[in-house]
Amino acid sequence: MSAKLKINGQNKIFEGGLPETLGKLLDDLAINQATVVAEIDGCIIERKDFARTPLKEGQTIELIRFVGGG
Amino acid sequence: MALPVSFELKNAVVGIAGLGGLGSNVAAALVRLGVGKLILADFDVVEESNLNRQNYFADQIGMHKVDATLTNLRRINSQIQLQGHKIRLTAETIPEVFKDCQVIAECFDRADQKQMIVETVLSKIAGVVIVTVSGLAGYGRSNDIITQRISERLILVGDTVSGTGPGVPLTAPRVGIAACHQANAIAEILLNEKCQRKKTG
Repeated sequence: MSAKLKINGQNKIFEGGLPETLGKLLDDLAINQATVVAEIDGCIIERKDFARTPLKEGQTIELIRFVGGG
Repeated sequence: MALPVSFELKNAVVGIAGLGGLGSNVAAALVRLGVGKLILADFDVVEESNLNRQNYFADQIGMHKVDATLTNLRRINSQIQLQGHKIRLTAETIPEVFKDCQVIAECFDRADQKQMIVETVLSKIAGVVIVTVSGLAGYGRSNDIITQRISERLILVGDTVSGTGPGVPLTAPRVGIAACHQANAIAEILLNEKCQRKKTG
């Protein structure tokens, strides 16, 4: 069964179902959790909660990835 | 002679987290814009290697960046209200230092520190907008640096990909472009949105 998330403005279809948690999604996308801020439907998810935040069909996720320099 | 400044700017309180290439330039732009009060924080001292992009002078090498910034900003406008904190900002200290601000400019260098302050502000300080930067290293590509409204309280400046690394230095023009994007986003928020002062009691 396929499921959908909107990630950074793009619809993404998961043919085999959604990753169970936000942490799993970040792992699947090879994103370093130390340098990303995540919002689900406009709410901030703290890094310590990534692994225990379940994902649901149709959610809008913003992943802000930081690179160094300032 | 003082130029007329809007009520919203004169009564605004803006936080600047980090006084390097971004922060030292954002601070100067906001003072010239007419923002009434700035809360500044940095733990570092001015080094010779900073002078290629940061708003300091050769005779300020060795000074705390907070002290040098206070001096420089008062030379622009002696009436500006300034509060300086010579501390290392952490998830524990950020909410207290910036509690009176309407907007905070994230002006750190390291990616994990940027993550830390954005997460802290969004989860621990109600109602405050943060303007953060990712991707400003190198030369050229001026128009790749953009301002994006990610959500109600989060604005992202930068090209999102150009991190510092071998052969990719931080340079005055590109850091300056990003800093002015930040200052301009802050002006827009203060002037266009009725930022409610937080009730602190």
